[in-house]
Amino acid sequence: MKLRHYETMFLLHPDLSNEDRENAIEKFTNIIKDGSGEIVNVDPWPLRKLAYKVQKQTQGYYVVIDFGAPGDVIQELTRNYRLDERVMKFMTTKLDDEFDAAEAAKKYANKGEAEAQTESDSAESEGKEE
Amino acid sequence: MQRPQQNRYKRRRIYVRRKVCRFCADKTLVADYKQPELLKGFITERGKILPRRVTGTCAKHQRRLTNAIKKARIMALLPFTSGHAIE
Repeated sequence: MKLRHYETMFLLHPDLSNEDRENAIEKFTNIIKDGSGEIVNVDPWPLRKLAYKVQKQTQGYYVVIDFGAPGDVIQELTRNYRLDERVMKFMTTKLDDEFDAAEAAKKYANKGEAEAQTESDSAESEGKEE
Repeated sequence: MQRPQQNRYKRRRIYVRRKVCRFCADKTLVADYKQPELLKGFITERGKILPRRVTGTCAKHQRRLTNAIKKARIMALLPFTSGHAIE
């Protein structure tokens, strides 16, 4: 089936342990994979303050997953988000109607390189200062 | 004595520096709901979206910016209003 390029973000409860969060992330990535989707990148954010209270909580863990999947997967994913009590908020957005795994992965490969470059640059400038 | 001062003030107001769209000036900059720190610069203290005439953003990027801010609000990355904000 035709894959589309999606991005999903969800907010996990702040009282969860590292293990619980990893389990939750694994659960949702598996839903995507089971629906013959392809994961491009999983980005768990550190604990973050919320702009307003959600379920009486003032902070939470965000997770962003970049993936390609057929449209049916989104319904299954949404259904599971609603059932899962660990998830306080979620949003899935379509990035593109076409999904090209190599093209999508480029974004993250370049980002990694760019960060590595700036790190080496700063290391060089530090070296110069010495 | 006050007249010339007023005139000078008025004349100075005409030469307001032309604001440039930040997203056009920096092509790598994208209005993304995942970057609330960037979006914070385009909302008021009360959390309202600033108009184009204030920020100088071009029409195309203002549309994208508006969508990004609204998405960020839904995900609790930005406040809908300062009344419900934490702190």
